[in-house]
Amino acid sequence: MRDSVIDLRGCKLHLQRAGQGEPLLFLHGAQGLSGSEPGLEALALDFDVITPDHPGFGRSEVSDIVDDVADLALFYLDLIEALDLKKVHLVGQCIGGWVALEMAIRNTARIKSLVLVGSAGLRIKGAPRADMFVCAEDDLMKLLFANGGGMAWLKSWRATPELEDIYDRNRAAAAKYSWSPRLCNPKLEHWLHRIDVPTHIVWGAQDRVIPPAYAAALKDKIKGASVATLADCAHLPHIEQPQAFAAAVTQFIRSAAR
Amino acid sequence: MKVFAFHLMPYAYLDMSYTQKHRAAWVVLPNTYFDPKKGHELYNRYLDELELVAELGYDGISVNEHHQNAYGLMPSPVVMAAALSRRTKNAKIAILGNAFCLREHPLTLAEEHAMIDCITGGRLISGMVRGIGAEYYSMGVNPAISHARFQEAHDLVVQAWTKPGPFAFEGKFYHFEYVNVWPRPYQQPHPPIWAPSTGSTETIEWAAHPSRRYVYLQAYSPITSVARYLNYYRECAQKMYGYTASSDQIGWSTPVYVAETDQKAREEAKPHIECLFNKLLRLPFEMIFPPGYLSMKSLKNMRSHKRSVSGQEHTVDTLIEQGIMLCGSPDTVRKQLTDTHRMLGFQNLLCLLQFATLPRDLTEKNIRLFAREVLPAVQALTDKEYAGMTVRAAE
Repeated sequence: MRDSVIDLRGCKLHLQRAGQGEPLLFLHGAQGLSGSEPGLEALALDFDVITPDHPGFGRSEVSDIVDDVADLALFYLDLIEALDLKKVHLVGQCIGGWVALEMAIRNTARIKSLVLVGSAGLRIKGAPRADMFVCAEDDLMKLLFANGGGMAWLKSWRATPELEDIYDRNRAAAAKYSWSPRLCNPKLEHWLHRIDVPTHIVWGAQDRVIPPAYAAALKDKIKGASVATLADCAHLPHIEQPQAFAAAVTQFIRSAAR
Repeated sequence: MKVFAFHLMPYAYLDMSYTQKHRAAWVVLPNTYFDPKKGHELYNRYLDELELVAELGYDGISVNEHHQNAYGLMPSPVVMAAALSRRTKNAKIAILGNAFCLREHPLTLAEEHAMIDCITGGRLISGMVRGIGAEYYSMGVNPAISHARFQEAHDLVVQAWTKPGPFAFEGKFYHFEYVNVWPRPYQQPHPPIWAPSTGSTETIEWAAHPSRRYVYLQAYSPITSVARYLNYYRECAQKMYGYTASSDQIGWSTPVYVAETDQKAREEAKPHIECLFNKLLRLPFEMIFPPGYLSMKSLKNMRSHKRSVSGQEHTVDTLIEQGIMLCGSPDTVRKQLTDTHRMLGFQNLLCLLQFATLPRDLTEKNIRLFAREVLPAVQALTDKEYAGMTVRAAE
């Protein structure tokens, strides 16, 4: 694992890079990254995995100009150019999936494939989502994990004072990007026809933050998209079902997006 | 000292067994718990109580803003201030506060405040608040930008009140081609601005800034926290900005109940003040402090202090012991106020004389007894009686 900081549009962006192979940019979700995401470690066996902390999250600075998800999309299109990634596999989870969608409707010139994992971004009327922000900590853990792994995961954030701070920082940054409209851009659905790269949709069967109905809606709106549903899994497949998550991503890229 | 009576206008008829089904009296408590006929009775009763206060020699009356809850039925305090403006003659009408930054259009509030100031001939005090965290759930405004938006809304409104219009306002959150507020406020350059807060360092530093010198009003806290924050305001003025804050810039807001004896006061206040803190202020941490609402620094401070106000079951005894409320005979309360004033030197006091389910008769008794036995002595307190920052050492 290699840590680095890149100065991008006046923001010192922290990113980690691990493994070798084709570049894969992983965009994290509302919970951010603690540094121990077994699903990402598994991906690093096959890919050059690049995991930035979004501005304001983790060890990245708050940016003066990146205020919303549309800004994040342009910011990461800039990052892909700055790192000179010619053909990158883009994997986004939760808010990160939303960012990936907003990037892909703008410009796929350097994007080789797209994987959306429990992705935010859409709003389907009548498909209620649980609110990650308002609920108490123990309820949040039940929401994020299907199999009761939440409290152990939460405890891992309390391991050091720095991680503890990052946990709070991540919650604040998630709110900044996704508070209202909550976790979506109501106009996004009108532009998904622009996505012209192989797209795979990976979803936890028990995800209540963004329920599986959203996977179906994305499949419906993105040309040629396929869906993999992971059993015994809620909103954080890369943590709760790391092997199944990594297998779903890897197999898709090997077959559809060679 | 200036003494105000403050009303929250709670929904006193709330079925308190709601706690078995719902985790808060805010945001998620269904509005089917509200009976409009009871609401009609309560609003009129509460307005009567404030009008009575205005007749009895208090310096002012005060209302505030909260949304979608049973704790306070004033989503628009402007409506209450307007109702009071023609029914009172001399009392200040203090809106403490209005959350200008919760509005997509803060100018509507700038206009309404200017109207009330004109109607009352300059009796308005404009409190500017961010709103508590729960409002950010209820009104869908992003808590992570609330400090910045609060400051910008303030700048917009003050400019709208003071700068000849029309002019364009180009902010980060607010954009107006024509700012040209009619009417202009009666008071020049603008109504006094107060900054009520539960102790955000950022708010204190902002209010104390020499270009503002706004009255900082500390609400609902154990007396040790009140001391910490009020002293921090003075310290800020001195060390950060190099001027000595006047005691007129310092205010304290607290529930007050007086009765014939200490014992009687405790007994009469008990069910109602406990209802206020345990039922109406029932508000989980995540709701009071949504993500990003507090700076990381304030979040850490708050984790240790704030849980003492809303995170535990209170009894009238713990509330009195911790100095969260004043309760006792007139002698006791007068002495407590005098002693606290000697330590903290606040020249503005907001008394919450009706709380939760406190009924009409006890409320009126409280208002009258306080007015007769406590008010004159407290109003007579000046900066001469202020001894300085001694509480800090005793903490």
